[in-house]
Amino acid sequence: MSTTVVTGVACLVCDSPLDIESGSEKGEIVECGTCGQEHELTDTSENGYEVSLAPEVEEDWGE
Amino acid sequence: MTTAATDVLLSVTVLRPDERRLLDALRSQGLTARPVLQPDLAEVLAAGGERPRLAVLRNLSHREAIGTARRLEQAGVATLNSPSAVEVCNDKGLQALLFARLGILHPATRHAFTYEQVHDIATEFGWPVVVKPVSGSWGRGVTRLSHEEELEAWTGGRESVDAAGKLFPVLVQQYVEKPGHDLRIVVVGTEPVVAISRNSDNWRTNTHLGAQVERVEVSDDMRRLCAQAVAALGPGFYGVDMMQDRHTGEMTVLEINANPEFARSSETHGVDVAGLYARHVAGLLESERPVLAV
Repeated sequence: MSTTVVTGVACLVCDSPLDIESGSEKGEIVECGTCGQEHELTDTSENGYEVSLAPEVEEDWGE
Repeated sequence: MTTAATDVLLSVTVLRPDERRLLDALRSQGLTARPVLQPDLAEVLAAGGERPRLAVLRNLSHREAIGTARRLEQAGVATLNSPSAVEVCNDKGLQALLFARLGILHPATRHAFTYEQVHDIATEFGWPVVVKPVSGSWGRGVTRLSHEEELEAWTGGRESVDAAGKLFPVLVQQYVEKPGHDLRIVVVGTEPVVAISRNSDNWRTNTHLGAQVERVEVSDDMRRLCAQAVAALGPGFYGVDMMQDRHTGEMTVLEINANPEFARSSETHGVDVAGLYARHVAGLLESERPVLAV
């Protein structure tokens, strides 16, 4: 089971620490527990986690 | 250069809870599986590396899904769903033509390439009609027009953002009055694994628009229509939407989705869709045969 860890990565909007579960994969969405901003994990390499703002829903998205 | 000995690539736009569950379920089957975002596809497609045995397509973006399916096809990588199934499922116009050709029950649907054609078809069908874009999801752009004045309003609004009419064609569909719900049947491989009734006061019964869902038994009608859908598109992973005419009781296929959502299905309906799909994938790979024609 994955465990929530504090990674030292800060929310790009409110600067609060983001909780990222260990074992998270590139492309996963991480929501800031403080302001609710969604982030996308863009790197999960040994160098640590990197995030960018999650993409907005685009018009060709769907089932 | 490319992936080393990966059984399954999971092609995604973003890794939502649905895809995360599927990834975990694939790994639980003993398969090596990894997610691939669009930029990572370059490495997969590069010549000279080992190909994955199969790619599972879960791209939210329809354009990405079709492009990825076709590129992997030409690279010799089998995909679930097949490229042609992905293409057909992402175009309601192609679906309507397929249903008509194969005799799969579907509300009367016509293509319109001009505003005048929308008017003429609506007049021929009789009001109300449903107008919808050929590509779109979650109920976006789907409009019910009850009389000529509403068509004028729809036309005016559309012309203001698309004066050249580049967003045509659209589909004009006979309006079928539903009994307050429609049905979503999830198909894994060839089997309908769960049926969900989507209940709403809104005539559009998409869950993204607030419809409440409840699990229902898979009926003979649903099973028959799902079998026809699978026969038309090939075995795969589908969300088959159906509705019943509240006056005649006739069940029709409304559309087939190649990327159905299932994240809450296990908790809500007691059906582990991700696990079933992963078992289906494992079964295909175990067969040691080409899993799909490419």
